[in-house]
Amino acid sequence: MDSVGYEDSAAPTLTSVKIVVAGGFGAGKTTFVGSVSEIMPLTTEAVMTSASVGIDDLAATPNKSTTTVAMDFGRVSLDSDLILYLFGTPGQQRFWFMWDDLVRGAIGAVVLADTRRLADCFSPIDFFEERNLPYVIGLNCFDGVLGHDLEEVRDALAIGPEVPIVTCDARDRQSTKQTLITMVEYSMRRWVALHGAGVG
Amino acid sequence: MTSQWGEPAPEMTIADLMNGLSLGGGRKKHRKPELEEPPPPAESVADNGDVEPEWPLGESGVADHAPVEPLPVEDAAMVRPYAWTRGRTRSTFELRVETMVSTSGRAADANAFAESEHRAIGALCKEPRSVAEVATLFGAPLGVAKVLLGDMAQLGLVTVHKTATGGANKAHLVLMERVLSGLRRL
Ligand SMILES: Nc1nc2c(ncn2[C@@H]2O[C@H](COP(=O)(O)OP(=O)(O)OP(=O)(O)O)[C@@H](O)[C@H]2O)c(=O)[nH]1
Ligand SMILES: [Mg+2]
Repeated sequence: MDSVGYEDSAAPTLTSVKIVVAGGFGAGKTTFVGSVSEIMPLTTEAVMTSASVGIDDLAATPNKSTTTVAMDFGRVSLDSDLILYLFGTPGQQRFWFMWDDLVRGAIGAVVLADTRRLADCFSPIDFFEERNLPYVIGLNCFDGVLGHDLEEVRDALAIGPEVPIVTCDARDRQSTKQTLITMVEYSMRRWVALHGAGVG
Repeated sequence: MTSQWGEPAPEMTIADLMNGLSLGGGRKKHRKPELEEPPPPAESVADNGDVEPEWPLGESGVADHAPVEPLPVEDAAMVRPYAWTRGRTRSTFELRVETMVSTSGRAADANAFAESEHRAIGALCKEPRSVAEVATLFGAPLGVAKVLLGDMAQLGLVTVHKTATGGANKAHLVLMERVLSGLRRL
């Protein structure tokens, strides 16, 4: 294709990766993103509009959009040239069209589960399983007590024995960090199982 | 402005339908209700996978196309970038939400920005930023930001940085290893 040549300038090349944070209303998504993000979690919107407009028209009349779906995101610099983005998204099925774009290229997902409302994570789990995206369950213990055996939770969620379930206090940076580590480790294990470790 | 997306979905009906599904009929196989209240009786609806009326709008809601038949996901992924540009061919800049963009050397010449939006975004991206950040800071929905950034990349005004490749390439595993050690250092 033409004009791709501009791409390699002398500017240092960065690599960015993302992890999706899903869960029901109030499951702690924004808190989770915020506890490790180096920026205040920002919100961006994807627009669903029934109007057929060019971008110019839309820019001129920004209020014409009919429905927007907000998602929170935060940024974590992992190295001078490596940046992790966390995207927290509403877990309703009617937003799945947006998730398709969102999960493309993701390392994986953290599904935050409130033990009092486990059913809220059914649809994110369904979605990630269908898309073959590695995910881990972060159990948010809102009452301070888990109240359920982890295996009971696994059973209730009908997820396989390989899917990591960890307890997580989204308000606590270390806890959030540990949940992300579990996520990436699991994604790597899955990758190796699928493609082989190769050399070293 | 007319709706080329066909009739706007009957919002309430669809929303109700979806809510019903997400409360009750979410997972296909399971799911033991003993840890929570019994779900309200699910409506007798077809498999929820079929009920995605909004998807053709997606982030490409600004596109100028008549709706196409819903495609399998893989196909949709290929078609959508072209929808953003109304069928114009475009070089292969993949702009994901997390993709970093930065103002290129070429753009240091302010005259290079013919469009005011490009000027504004060019100023934002002197510091590398993700597509999502550009959208937020520029105050546009993601789909609009992607179109503008795609145009700017085409014009050589912004540099598009790398994202995870995924797939079977060993580079992806190496990248995940780097992410892991980065997280451990936090
Ligand atoms: N005890 C406890 N409270 C939490 C935890 N995570 C979040 N909270 C609290 O729960 C409330 C909701 O958290 P949010 O982070 O806003 O949840 P959310 O998933 O972003 O919510 P929505 O965006 O509205 O769906 C806030 O008051 C948080 O302080 C947790 O791990 N433990
Ligand atoms: Mg939130």
